[in-house]
Amino acid sequence: MTAHATFRNEPALELRREPVRAQALRALAELRTKLPLRIGSASGAAWGADGAGGGGGGELRSHNPADPAELIAVAPAGTAADARAAVTRADAALTAWASLEASVRVRTLQRAAGLLRERRLELAALEVLEAGKPWPEADADVCEAIDFLEYYALGAAALAQGVALLQVPGERNTLRYHPRGVHAVIAPWNFPLAIPAGMVSAALVTGNTVVFKPAEQTPACGHALVQALHAAGVPEDAVVLLTGSDEPARELVAHPLVHGIAFTGSCAAGQHIIRAAAEPHPGQRHVKRVIAEMGGKNCIIVDADADLDDAVPAIVKSAFGFAGQKCSAAARVLVCEEIAEPLSERLAGAIAALRVGPAEDFASDLSAVIDAEAVTRIGAFLEGAEHAPRVQAQVPAGTDGHYVPPTMFVDLPSSSRIVREEVFGPVLSCERVTSVEAAVRIVQEGDFGLTGGLFTRSPRTIEYVSRLGIVGNLYVNREITGAMVGRQPFGGGRLSGTGPKAGGPDYLLSFVEARSVSENTVRHGLVI
Amino acid sequence: MDEVTLDERVQVWGSRLAAGLPSGGLRRPRAGAEQLMMRWLIGDPRLRAALFRFVDVRPACHSRSELVRHLSELLEEAGGRERFGAGEGPVDGEHSGVARRLARLTGRRALELPTAAAAALGVASMAHRFIAGEDAEAAAGELRSLWEHGRCVTLDLLGEATLTEGEGELYAERCTQTLRTLAQLGAAWQPAPMLDHDGLGPLPRANLSVKVSALTPHLRANAPRRALEAARERLLALLRLARELDAHLHVDMESLDTRESITELFLELLARDEFVAGPSAGIVLQAYLTDSEEQLERLLAWVEGNPRGAPFTVRLVKGAYWDHEVVLAAQHGWRTPVFTDRRACDRHYEHLTRRLLDARAGGLALRPAIASHNLRSLAHALAYADALRLEPEAVELQVLRGLGDDTAAAINACGRRVRVYCPVGDLVAGMAYLVRRLLENTSNDSFLAALGSGADLRLLLERP
Ligand SMILES: Cc1cc2nc3c(=O)[nH]c(=O)nc-3n(C[C@H](O)[C@H](O)[C@H](O)COP(=O)(O)OP(=O)(O)OC[C@H]3O[C@@H](n4cnc5c(N)ncnc54)[C@H](O)[C@@H]3O)c2cc1C
Repeated sequence: MTAHATFRNEPALELRREPVRAQALRALAELRTKLPLRIGSASGAAWGADGAGGGGGGELRSHNPADPAELIAVAPAGTAADARAAVTRADAALTAWASLEASVRVRTLQRAAGLLRERRLELAALEVLEAGKPWPEADADVCEAIDFLEYYALGAAALAQGVALLQVPGERNTLRYHPRGVHAVIAPWNFPLAIPAGMVSAALVTGNTVVFKPAEQTPACGHALVQALHAAGVPEDAVVLLTGSDEPARELVAHPLVHGIAFTGSCAAGQHIIRAAAEPHPGQRHVKRVIAEMGGKNCIIVDADADLDDAVPAIVKSAFGFAGQKCSAAARVLVCEEIAEPLSERLAGAIAALRVGPAEDFASDLSAVIDAEAVTRIGAFLEGAEHAPRVQAQVPAGTDGHYVPPTMFVDLPSSSRIVREEVFGPVLSCERVTSVEAAVRIVQEGDFGLTGGLFTRSPRTIEYVSRLGIVGNLYVNREITGAMVGRQPFGGGRLSGTGPKAGGPDYLLSFVEARSVSENTVRHGLVI
Repeated sequence: MDEVTLDERVQVWGSRLAAGLPSGGLRRPRAGAEQLMMRWLIGDPRLRAALFRFVDVRPACHSRSELVRHLSELLEEAGGRERFGAGEGPVDGEHSGVARRLARLTGRRALELPTAAAAALGVASMAHRFIAGEDAEAAAGELRSLWEHGRCVTLDLLGEATLTEGEGELYAERCTQTLRTLAQLGAAWQPAPMLDHDGLGPLPRANLSVKVSALTPHLRANAPRRALEAARERLLALLRLARELDAHLHVDMESLDTRESITELFLELLARDEFVAGPSAGIVLQAYLTDSEEQLERLLAWVEGNPRGAPFTVRLVKGAYWDHEVVLAAQHGWRTPVFTDRRACDRHYEHLTRRLLDARAGGLALRPAIASHNLRSLAHALAYADALRLEPEAVELQVLRGLGDDTAAAINACGRRVRVYCPVGDLVAGMAYLVRRLLENTSNDSFLAALGSGADLRLLLERP
């Protein structure tokens, strides 16, 4: 796909410059004057007098994680009935959207990218408030959303050319990629624009229609994406927003008219979806395809020859950026025993120096976690390790924000839940190993295989670990989060996901079906 | 004065400086091996990369066999052992033949130990060219000898990055200790009029260059004020001590990410009433930043608005983080904040030199310090100062120990004041410093590299 050669990542905001920060803060203040945002109902019905969606499910509210009293958005809590209505609409829109010239869809998506670009500051501000995402990461998420639209648009243009096949005299062989049908996109709150933008745009640009259910914590971010797509010219029913929590999602997965499900979220939910989607329903004449990006328990291996000046800040960033609420976040450090002492000592000091505070404050290193439930869940992990020595940073006092102190445990027993399970919060386990080989075995024995890190200055060690392919995304001598579209195609193996790399050259193939045509060009013994 | 006349005087100064280089010329043979090595490095980017990576990892090698392993791996890589199986490696022409021969040597068992020892020794002795000693105490003899050769100094404390409060505290303690040691040492040196005074008053002999990033782990590009709170007490204590000891405190400038924090913090503290009479202090201006003129105007306005007993020093450099700034901007899609044309950078340096000297000639309590190893840049400053009829002591030239030893000798020979920036620290820290200086010194864009490889003096002195 040579079209990708022209792709460039959307430049990040240069927040180190004061005027840029001032602009960002103005956008935030401006957004605050419009809160709470009111999001229309999924089934297209007018906003009901009771504030509910057409299906009568009541409403959904999102709050600022740093200050839960601040209401960000109100949206309909979609029901199973809303989900069915949404699928019906998307199915009805399919033929028209699928039969457009690919180039029309490509241009439409590129227009949508342009619209997001125009609203960059406002959208980043929305993520700061609704997801509690610190500014640089909120901005990176908006950029990534734009990148996905642009990258998949270029990819779809290339895909529309088909693929060259072997030709012999008397035969004309062609291969074309066809859309599959209605796709359900079920997205998480931690990358509230980028992840859905990737999944929705991949499905749309290849000619499918979409019902998109954003996470219940971030309906306004999801709405902003759909708004941009509609404004760019995607027909209203070709992408339908369905806000809500589990009920409508389950209905989407089970619905016989849904052909593909693109999901990013927890491992448990992902496996449930895979099971449910495998179950054929009356009237269903196809096998549903599930694209699932699930959890991680990501390890950073630190070799004895590593440069700790580089390793420590990178580990801190990987483990505690956005309070560890990334599937790519570092959960375990596996350090060779020769340097285990200095590493854990310096890590401890670096963690103690972290500043926890509201995402909107540029001085915060990490923010509140998403909601009260997350505080409880992460708290249970910490309590489970009650007696283990730990290092923590302070959290702000006297606020109702959902704060969890960034925490590191050193040399926990391997049976500890914190070592085994995905915490999805600012919790790091630092364990010593006898060698890089031993660390590699630990990674290979883990349930997940998403991201991983390696700090070493030995070219052979780099080659050795790279060749093994132990994780989907291996990062050498750098932080293990922050994959960029087109640069670090993202996705893992084992229980981390079903495969195709988001932001990579193969991703779109999961949303299409190849159809080949072979025409006999011989008539009366002549090739014509 | 018009540009042509100025340029004629620059040429005169350039030739005088060049004539003052030791052995009177450009092609002074360095130690044979070192010269050969420099030639290899300049001409062979892969070997250069391999050796720098070796110097970089050297302190982390816990045994001789570790050392040999790293050296041979790096050389093998540079020599073109295919990394990803047959057919996929880069084409042979891009590989380093020297590296391949060396790799074969280090790979032989019998040679392992001697090679490792040589590699260890070589690197350590190279590092010693740049580093005066473990600490000020250890460097005492070297500092006195420099003084006796007509060179004053500023000390820089090398160390690991500061990632924790404890490390910041430790660095502050080292600064305290160094200031005290320097004050003691300096008191015993012979009087030297050129080094002890300029037209604005006495010049402190004890002179320390401080890195704010080493004082605190709280530097944040997006929140410059955070470092202010975090480092304020430590820097305050150092300023007070410098005042008490009558020493000079200079803050170095680092990557652009930290410029705002460093500038705000330092100027805010210096403006306090308690520092009106002293200490002598200064900051660095990096000419390679395209917005450095604005930064200079800000500094000049501050000097004007905050009259102090001790004049303020501005050390003009090109900038030591050029690659970092270019890479960071490219990875984020930002406008490159530095000049990318070598000549534009040099031109801007000259422009800022004139602006600084003009301000001094206009009566501002400002001490311009021109820090460069580029004879053209230095000659330009001297010629322009003459044209402004500034007294010879008014302009200080500065060089780095190790890189600028010959330059310093040339400045001595011309009877001008030169200050030598002397890093002190242990081997681990020394290596990282060595890598940076070597990279700079062997890059195609370096004046010293051009001089070392025998480029024509007239071309080197050309107006940029
Ligand atoms: C006493 C002293 C103190 C110093 N303190 C500091 C400090 O606090 N902070 C700091 O950053 N540096 C500092 N420096 C380092 C200084 O910035 C470098 O040594 C210096 O850049 C080398 O410049 P030069 O004039 O000696 O050599 P030259 O060879 O004339 O210039 C080389 C410099 O040009 C610039 N350059 C290289 N390639 C390009 C290009 N393609 N386009 C544009 N510009 C290019 C780079 O800045 C490079 O370092 C100090 C130097 C001295 C002597």
